[in-house]
Amino acid sequence: MLKITRRDFLKATGGLTVTAAVSTALSRPGRKLAQIHAAVPGYDMVAEEHIVPSVCLLCPSGCGMWGRVVDGRLVKLEGSPLHPINLGALCPKGQAAPELLYNPDRIQGPLRRVGERGAGQWEPINWETALSLVAQRLADVRDSGHPERFAFLYGETRGQMRGLISYFSQAIGSPNAVSHDSLNIEAGKLAHQLTQGIYDLLAYDLEKTNHVLSFGASLLEAGRSVQRFASGYAYMRRGRPYRGKVVIVDPRLGVSGAKADEWIPIRPGTDAALALGMAHVIISSGLVDRDFVENYAFGYEDWEDEAGVQHQGFKSLVLENYDPETTAQITGVPAGTIARLAGEFGTNRPSVAVMPGKGGLLNGSVNGLYTAMAIHALNALVGSLETPGGVLVQRYPTCPGWPELPADPVAAEGRQAERVDGAGSVFPLARHAYQAVPDRIREGYPVDVLFLYDANPMFECPNGGARWAEAFNQVDFIVSFSSFLDETAEHADLILPDHTFLERWQDDFIEGLGYPGVALRQPVVEPVHNTRNTGDVLIDLAHRLGGPVAAAFPWAGFPELLKWRLQDVGASWETLAELGLWIVPPDQVPNRGSDPWLSQVVGRDRQNTPQDGYFDFFSRELQCLLQTVDEATLQQLGIQARGDEVFLPHYEPVNYQGDEDEYPFVLNVVTLMSLGPYTANANMPTLQEISGMVVNETWDSWLEMSPESAHRLGLHDKDPVWVESPFGKARTKVRLVSGLRSDVVNLPYNQGHRAVGRWAKDRGVNGLELMGPGTEPLTGLAAFTNTRVKVYRAS
Amino acid sequence: MPRWAMVIDLDKCVACQGCSIACRQENNTPAVGPDQAAMGRALRWNDVVPLPLNAEEVSEISGEHATATVRYLTRPCMHCDNPPCIKVCPVQATYVDEEGLVRQDYNRCIGCRFCTVACPYGVRYFNWEEPPWSPELARHINPDYVSENGSLEGPAVRPKGVVEKCTFCIHRLQKARQQAETEGREFRAEDYRPACVETCTAQARFFGDMEDPNSTVSYLARSTRAFRILEEVGTHPKVIYLREG
Repeated sequence: MLKITRRDFLKATGGLTVTAAVSTALSRPGRKLAQIHAAVPGYDMVAEEHIVPSVCLLCPSGCGMWGRVVDGRLVKLEGSPLHPINLGALCPKGQAAPELLYNPDRIQGPLRRVGERGAGQWEPINWETALSLVAQRLADVRDSGHPERFAFLYGETRGQMRGLISYFSQAIGSPNAVSHDSLNIEAGKLAHQLTQGIYDLLAYDLEKTNHVLSFGASLLEAGRSVQRFASGYAYMRRGRPYRGKVVIVDPRLGVSGAKADEWIPIRPGTDAALALGMAHVIISSGLVDRDFVENYAFGYEDWEDEAGVQHQGFKSLVLENYDPETTAQITGVPAGTIARLAGEFGTNRPSVAVMPGKGGLLNGSVNGLYTAMAIHALNALVGSLETPGGVLVQRYPTCPGWPELPADPVAAEGRQAERVDGAGSVFPLARHAYQAVPDRIREGYPVDVLFLYDANPMFECPNGGARWAEAFNQVDFIVSFSSFLDETAEHADLILPDHTFLERWQDDFIEGLGYPGVALRQPVVEPVHNTRNTGDVLIDLAHRLGGPVAAAFPWAGFPELLKWRLQDVGASWETLAELGLWIVPPDQVPNRGSDPWLSQVVGRDRQNTPQDGYFDFFSRELQCLLQTVDEATLQQLGIQARGDEVFLPHYEPVNYQGDEDEYPFVLNVVTLMSLGPYTANANMPTLQEISGMVVNETWDSWLEMSPESAHRLGLHDKDPVWVESPFGKARTKVRLVSGLRSDVVNLPYNQGHRAVGRWAKDRGVNGLELMGPGTEPLTGLAAFTNTRVKVYRAS
Repeated sequence: MPRWAMVIDLDKCVACQGCSIACRQENNTPAVGPDQAAMGRALRWNDVVPLPLNAEEVSEISGEHATATVRYLTRPCMHCDNPPCIKVCPVQATYVDEEGLVRQDYNRCIGCRFCTVACPYGVRYFNWEEPPWSPELARHINPDYVSENGSLEGPAVRPKGVVEKCTFCIHRLQKARQQAETEGREFRAEDYRPACVETCTAQARFFGDMEDPNSTVSYLARSTRAFRILEEVGTHPKVIYLREG
């Protein structure tokens, strides 16, 4: 075929006769266009076309989506207008999801390692062989009498998947189902548990809120449910006659600060002091909700216990220690501003103090938990709990309970073992301590078989890579369910690739609005590769093990399990599949002290203290746990407070790694809207191309620095620089941004991959590699903002 | 005859870039890759940009971090009533159609790029290379196109050497008209929404007929918050912004 490009053509005609050029150009490229379109496989103008509802899984928002499928190919996704979280909208990640489905770097079928671990040599094997291999390993672990040597690390699990993973581990006989929550949302969950008695993130009724005060990670970029915040935010601003006010507390302006009415550039790690300084003003100005603090709260005033011992209450603690001048010294926020913020927060009700969910700057050292408690105490002070426009407890659809596990002495003993992450033992308050697992394995906790589901700990843990690699050396058999050969999957022995979320059955609880709802993820297209739903794989494995393990799984497959668990949600399976979701909005808000208040709003998840409907300013739950608050315990737990203060929200200074004189900047690793929190997003090319919107960068990392710091260091915009901490250094380019404290520098998250795929690999730097590997001794939370760095020009 | 216009409320916009990617997926604009993007050759029909744009300008901002102001602007083609791009085109490949859309005839375009320079908004993009679709990713190519005068418009994959731009998702207009016809009813302006409007996470974008004084866009365009970018150069853009606050 004669191939002629436009440029050749113009050269040939020499541009002598423009009209001739035009008339010839009219015919040729037209054919060319048609050829390109005909080259698209299966393309046909009268193609068969239909819409399939599903749910996104590229961040924890869980937006409903409708897939447009043409001739069996997914060509476009739209937000489901029925879904109450996104109301028809879809963010860049969701829009780019076809690039996940059709990603050329996906693992196409089960792989077995043939070379050295991590050497990247694999052979494809069939599912039958792969599954019998795994089943044999699991049987061996059980036969050895130590089923606790099986561990299951998991990341984002939706709907029944979390329950299934935990149930599966218990059926095998292991307590070691470890969630990555300790990397992000656990601070909020634990703080709500210790104060309100609800072990969960809370929902914010932004549509009716007048005043939003957001702490920690960027509300509109890095929140737990960014889309929920975006929908609520937009409605609060312009969806109603009265425009709500938004205040962002963050050392970095970011998109949220730029969009807010006011940005408070706080010194990193001092959020608790600001919240308590505001509490001081609210209390001393008489702006507290008297009904709430007098009748529905515990430990607001000083109190006397049964033994006649006097205890300090929240009010006197705050009034004695956190006046605006003192807190101004700590936070760098002027006392006048603190007083004004408090006044606005106390009077412009309903107001909410929001923790976007992802820990971000809240996890410094032990202060992560107390900071979250202090922030939530603000909500209690102004009576925003479970009120219209306030903070709502998230309800879930009713599901039948998981079956009683059959009698199984081996498993029963294994389940009693200490956890591999030290949650509940080394870290007394922790439910999960994901980032501590490698250290515990290296210290001698034996793990024979390790499962990794949606987990890439080598990339996502502070200073993770080398520690995990070393720990993996002590694990006999590692199975990854990853769709991509990410940093961690590269160290596996066997990969059983999961479907992408667009190819599988899965449910998804609708979180962020308070009321219960469930959405259904269903295959939008036939699986592209020889992959399997991990839910099905787990059930299959259980069946292969036979005996009591098989007996615990009466379902033929994961969809059957879903149908059984979702039988009581209020809609039939057919309705769920057709609409893609079912919601049960409430008819009214429970009154304080009413039965639903007692059973749902306050105290629901308390384990050791009465579910009496009292919000704990003084955490009785924490007091129960730390019976002996002797000096040694407190020192061991890294708590600097003494006496009753330990059980009250208070400010604990961050224990920074790195001397301030040598390392003048606090390193803040920020999550971007585009690249998001999950590894796979980094291998989606259009997301890479828009990733650096805030500084006009693409396909790379950058270090954000304030102009005044750059001037001081003699750096210019776009200079190559080294960022160095006591733990490592990385080379990138510096970008000057307005709207950043001069003692903080930012690196965007989700660049710097050493694996995953062609678009993610060897691009930029991973800021987490520079961080100190810290775990808060009390809570098991990863310390995310505990590291100082220095910056200097790279030659 | 309708006159299509878009209103973007910057007070609702959260600069999420959903519009950017919705546009790329709907209109088959692939990522061009790091090297091409570094040369400024990415195809950004609908981009979100921070203001001030200029890094030098940023570095001159004084030491008071608390006074920093950054604004984010999402920027499709303005579909000007008086577009500078069409005046410089030597081959009349770009024109305003009777409904006010600034169209691009890829058949006529000779790739001289005069229009990319003439456009004060920088929303016209030249295809320096063949569109870099990997065979796998090509499976999600949107098969829609608009065929007129032998030229394929809309999401039709553009060849190397032509200039392309936001079409206000003109294929959606055609599909909406066909749909109305199939259903035996009159076409309504609300039937037609570009992909960026549909996906907007904060529902900050509005689209409709400016000729209709009762349409949402007409109503919002009369707001005291309304402004157009570079209004003073006389382009008469049909993308109208509502300022923050």
